[in-house]
Amino acid sequence: MISLFLDTCSQIIRLGVLSDSKLIDYTEFTNDNKLSEKLLPAMKEMLEKNKYRVNDLNRIYISVGPGSFTGIRIGVTVAKVIAWSLNIDIIPISSLEVMASYDTDKKYICSFMDARRGFVFAGIYDNELNTYIEDKYILFDQLLEEMKDIKDNTLFVSNDDNYISCVESKINVERIVLKHINDKSVNPHNVNPIYLKLTEAEEKLNDKNN
Amino acid sequence: MKDTYILAIESSCDETSIAIIKNGHKEISNIVLSQMDTHSNYGGVVPEIASRMHIENITIVLEQALKEANLTMEDIDAIAVTYGPGLVGSLLIGLQAAKTLSYVYNKPLVPVHHIAGHIYANNLEKSMEFPLIALVISGGHTELVYMKEDYSFEVIGSTLDDAVGEAYDKVARVMNLSYPGGPKVDKLAHEGTDTYDLPLPLDDDSYNFSFSGIKSAVINLRHNEEQRGNQLNLPNLATSFQNRVVEILTKKTMKALKEYKVKNLIIAGGVSANKGIRERFSELCVQENINLTIPKLEYCTDNAAMIGAAGYYAYKLGRRADLDLNVKATDKLN
Repeated sequence: MISLFLDTCSQIIRLGVLSDSKLIDYTEFTNDNKLSEKLLPAMKEMLEKNKYRVNDLNRIYISVGPGSFTGIRIGVTVAKVIAWSLNIDIIPISSLEVMASYDTDKKYICSFMDARRGFVFAGIYDNELNTYIEDKYILFDQLLEEMKDIKDNTLFVSNDDNYISCVESKINVERIVLKHINDKSVNPHNVNPIYLKLTEAEEKLNDKNN
Repeated sequence: MKDTYILAIESSCDETSIAIIKNGHKEISNIVLSQMDTHSNYGGVVPEIASRMHIENITIVLEQALKEANLTMEDIDAIAVTYGPGLVGSLLIGLQAAKTLSYVYNKPLVPVHHIAGHIYANNLEKSMEFPLIALVISGGHTELVYMKEDYSFEVIGSTLDDAVGEAYDKVARVMNLSYPGGPKVDKLAHEGTDTYDLPLPLDDDSYNFSFSGIKSAVINLRHNEEQRGNQLNLPNLATSFQNRVVEILTKKTMKALKEYKVKNLIIAGGVSANKGIRERFSELCVQENINLTIPKLEYCTDNAAMIGAAGYYAYKLGRRADLDLNVKATDKLN
């Protein structure tokens, strides 16, 4: 079984090809404002390099957020259209879980991304990628408060080092895929970004209505 | 001759639309999912909400377009997509979907300029005759285009600031009419008389337009009347505003037809649904013996059928894009 792994939610774009749960090829590149131009050529190049055509894919593991709204949408659109076209499995995964697949001796991993004004998108996972605290949009200080009992046993993973001492994410694609290998495929129509945050316009309207 | 089927995708603003067009003029299917109701809660299109709704609906609309046409992707000759101008976040969804389909099915990818689409909406009704002048009027565009032949565009004039539709919506807001207010102003304009002294905007020798001045004049007028404790007569204001807009649009368009010695006029874009504009152009074109075409209402607003019509000619001309095609918020029509 040939699978594609794709994460376009953070500053690092991650793209991999797997045969069953074995990673055959993997690349990372920076998420700049050229992602829209780069993504499909990069995917095509990787598949061709490994003598695959896109039609050989049996399954897509797609990171669906939270993170950069535009980044998420570029990756998710490509993934859902491929899955719809080829009628193959598509498995949505949290972008924070992807980041939390860091090999460490610590018991917990807190992965987070800056969401501005002191807020972060954060999730806490144990070192077997089980959710400990659900992904959320939260003030960083409040997050620290909520996790104070486990803080000393937690590794912080982020590419935004202005909040706390942390390591840059270094993911383990095979562990993520193994964790989700028995997940049920989702109808591509229903694979959509998880923003964890309303748009500003919606927030304002809610405030007004309350 | 073998038929050519174009699958077209349009997502430049707040409509998610996918269509299949045969030979550049026959609509096989045209699914348009409008987000208007959602955005009306906010008094205008909210770009982030528009992008969110596009991605939720893109594959659903795609499936529906094929189903209604009773075709599969294998039957499609090329994929046409609006790459710009428009809202970047919105355009990106249609563009990524189009590129992905082109990749997976190994079909040519044809980039289409949104305005070319509006013009070619006319081709869905009757074959366009050249040379022609196209007046494109919508919420985002106001352009006069000279076309010598198929898919040759010479923009001879455009707005220097607000688009016509934008001016209508802003004036509607001054008149406390809810979004989208343009059609409401048009309706009121048919009930009033031209009593307010508003300026004729950018009444010069160029083919350019400017609508921010007349919009400001309406704002000032309301302010002054309020100061004096007078009630604004909304129907009369609507008539006065619309008359000025219609006058400058017709004046410059008719002048272009004369100077370029053209007998064919096309009006396109969302604002071509405006009754006042349609009526006045119809009168003048009969007088001047001009052959006038205005697409039916559903082809005036954003839709993928028009992108498919334009895309057919772009395809025949050999215009192609690769998988690195990107969106463009603004781009010259060519």
